[in-house]
Amino acid sequence: MDGKFDTDIENAWCPGCGNFGILKAVKKALEGTGKENHEIVLVSGIGQAAKLPHYVDVNVFNGLHGRALPAAAAIRMANPALTVVVTSGDGDIYGEGGNHFLHNIRRNVDIALFVHDNQVYGLTKGQPSPTGDRGWTGSLQRAGVISGPFPPLAVALSLGCGFVARGYAADPDFTADLMLQAIRFKGFALVDILQPCVTFNKKNTFQWYGSKAYKLPEDHDASDRMKAFALALEWEERIPLGVLYRKERPSFEEMHPVIAGPPLHARETGEEGVRALLRKRMTQT
Amino acid sequence: MGIDINIRVSGGAGQGVHTVGNLIVRMVVGAGCHFHVTQDYMSRIRGGRNSQAIRIGSDPVRAAREEADILLAINPDHLPHFLPGVAKGGFAIADVPTAAPPLIAAPLKEMAAMAGSPILANVAGAGAIAHALGIPPETADPVFAADFKGDFFEKNRAVFRLGAEWAREHLPEEIGKRFRLPARLPVPRIILSGNEALALGALAGGCKFASGYPMTPGTSILAVLADEGPSLGLVFEQAEDEIAALNMAIGASYAGARSLVSTSGGGFALMTEAVSLAGMMETPVVIVLAMRPGPATGMPTRTEQGDLEFVLSAGHGEFPRLVLAPGSPEEAFALAQRAMDQAEEFQVPAFLLTDQYLADTIVDIEPDVLGILPVRRHIVRGNSVSRTPEGRYLRHAYTESGISPMAVPGEQGITVVVDSDEHTEDGHITEDHETRIRMVAKRLRKGAELARRILPPLVSGPPNGDALLVGFGSTKEVNEEARRILAREGRSVAVVHLRQVWPFPSEEIAGIVPRYGVALTVENNATGQLARLIQRESGVKMDGTISRFDGLPFTAERIAAEARKRIWTGNSIPT
Repeated sequence: MDGKFDTDIENAWCPGCGNFGILKAVKKALEGTGKENHEIVLVSGIGQAAKLPHYVDVNVFNGLHGRALPAAAAIRMANPALTVVVTSGDGDIYGEGGNHFLHNIRRNVDIALFVHDNQVYGLTKGQPSPTGDRGWTGSLQRAGVISGPFPPLAVALSLGCGFVARGYAADPDFTADLMLQAIRFKGFALVDILQPCVTFNKKNTFQWYGSKAYKLPEDHDASDRMKAFALALEWEERIPLGVLYRKERPSFEEMHPVIAGPPLHARETGEEGVRALLRKRMTQT
Repeated sequence: MGIDINIRVSGGAGQGVHTVGNLIVRMVVGAGCHFHVTQDYMSRIRGGRNSQAIRIGSDPVRAAREEADILLAINPDHLPHFLPGVAKGGFAIADVPTAAPPLIAAPLKEMAAMAGSPILANVAGAGAIAHALGIPPETADPVFAADFKGDFFEKNRAVFRLGAEWAREHLPEEIGKRFRLPARLPVPRIILSGNEALALGALAGGCKFASGYPMTPGTSILAVLADEGPSLGLVFEQAEDEIAALNMAIGASYAGARSLVSTSGGGFALMTEAVSLAGMMETPVVIVLAMRPGPATGMPTRTEQGDLEFVLSAGHGEFPRLVLAPGSPEEAFALAQRAMDQAEEFQVPAFLLTDQYLADTIVDIEPDVLGILPVRRHIVRGNSVSRTPEGRYLRHAYTESGISPMAVPGEQGITVVVDSDEHTEDGHITEDHETRIRMVAKRLRKGAELARRILPPLVSGPPNGDALLVGFGSTKEVNEEARRILAREGRSVAVVHLRQVWPFPSEEIAGIVPRYGVALTVENNATGQLARLIQRESGVKMDGTISRFDGLPFTAERIAAEARKRIWTGNSIPT
């Protein structure tokens, strides 16, 4: 237990799981922020991916399946001094929690969202997730998935997400850098992280990704939204890694008229303020 | 007995029923009298049939009456529905070509057009009513001045006076005498609806975060918090769905903010997993359930008390909760403060049960009655927390009471770990069976603590006798009036009002009920949920239930009639 964010909590992942690489990246990114342990909150839903916060020595809110984003957004509203990072799985964020994914991008709350995207539901033993390919076979879908895949980067871009990136669990240093950028970015920042599931996904393996994934060149213009859209839709032949799009705009916290100031837990409730509201409803005589 | 005048104003949505009601109540208070408004509206934005009943008294009024003494039907199409409900000696006015008593034809549209604004027919009617009550037209001027400026203000004043003038010329003289309000000195009163009172009570109780998805009749609570909360530093956010709303409130609560959501049955159904989350994480949160008839979409703008059993069991798993059921706007103001405080003290989800009837009831209240208690936070800082030998903060430390010292994330040297899985004291996931037993016991111990602090039921009437009526929530005042009606006939009945339904006051109820010959619950639902709850929790079998489940609230007369039939003419059928 050497690093600032290391814990001694027993790990529950399969040997060889892509989550180990993601965990390494998260710790490296958090160290890069220079923040103290108590200033950070990791929020997750349910799944193997969602266990990650327990393995990092920070504040942890490990809530319900699919419901990390509402809790994370509200933690920011209650105390914008906290650095809030959501780290959870693709089923949790894009499936069960899909509505919250859509609307928190719309809000542009200042959080970083890291999605462990392995195209399966691991903890329930191998059903395809929304990002799984058409035709893929597994638990509950023995005849092959009929639905087309959910394209998270394209969806995020269409909603105006200001930071859209794709990382890779097999390259923790590269992914850590994306994560740090996402945390520092003002507004909602998405890093979808490709992750082989060694136990349940026999199609999208390390070899499969290795042959298709490529890093965007240094001179990629991340301010070009239409270019980013095109890149977001690349999948079967080539899969771009890196920051596809980046453009800051005011965050929800900045725009909301009441959030700035002391955190909610430090705000007083004076009797006089309430009396004033009652007086507004008093008849004149 | 004093004054008791019931006025009904009806019209389509958009025809200004609310405006007339607002005018009348302010004039009534200006004349030193009191009022109680019941609102009856349809699930639409224009047209249909909406009404307000404004009951006026020389003493504070707290319940509705069956019949109307004065009916103003802004849309004459509503006469078949409302005219039969006009009391003997009363009258109705509507814009019709001819009329027979008790209906009087009034050229409301023509008067409005004369003043330059045909849409103000409702205000002409208000002027006529003011005359009938003996209120001088000038009394309405400050009300118009508060709401309207310039040209519109002038037109309203003019139409109102035309209506009053018309009434002076056309209302039979005996009407002018019968409904005249006595001349009294006005005193300052606060005008509040049940929902406004509840929302302001939550603010008084230190609420700093609210989230919600609009759903009748819970929406106006969110509106008050969104509009008035900022002056007290409250952050409001409209959620994308009810699941988000309660999960957000729990997140904000984890970060140290007193939080509230407000919804109705269908929205609450979506929240139930998060209720379970609050129970497991031990995050305080206040949930307002404003009931309406179900199941499913039901009758969106009507009233019912059909979700009692639902709120007691909502959220899978076993964990303690608090359920309060205010019976009046004053009580809503007080109990909202209590809910915010006890949710945090015991780290449980606390529910405030109301319904469309109470939500939309408007009364005048004496300012001193609304007590504000100082907010005491139940949060610990720094050195008073328990830690593991390695220094980890134990969010769920085992204690005798079951309540663990609660720290807020962001403080130096502490990290707060919470989880929806079963967990060890430090908040991390566990599958250990021994830990499970200890954690379940800990959470349930909090329930035992809560049960030592029950807000006892209110009992009025004789300590024993022929009859007892038991209700919860919004039947409080109407049961009380029924008691008075029956007492005047020499029929002795006592009333119990349950303002807390969980933890249940088993001992009190077990002690009270057997002292009476016949005990009935009074409930706005079809299956007698309160009667079942009483039997289950205190072992006492009620003799039956007075039910109403047509979407409309009880009146005292109706309860008294049922009670007479069931108790004093030998027809009480045990259910």
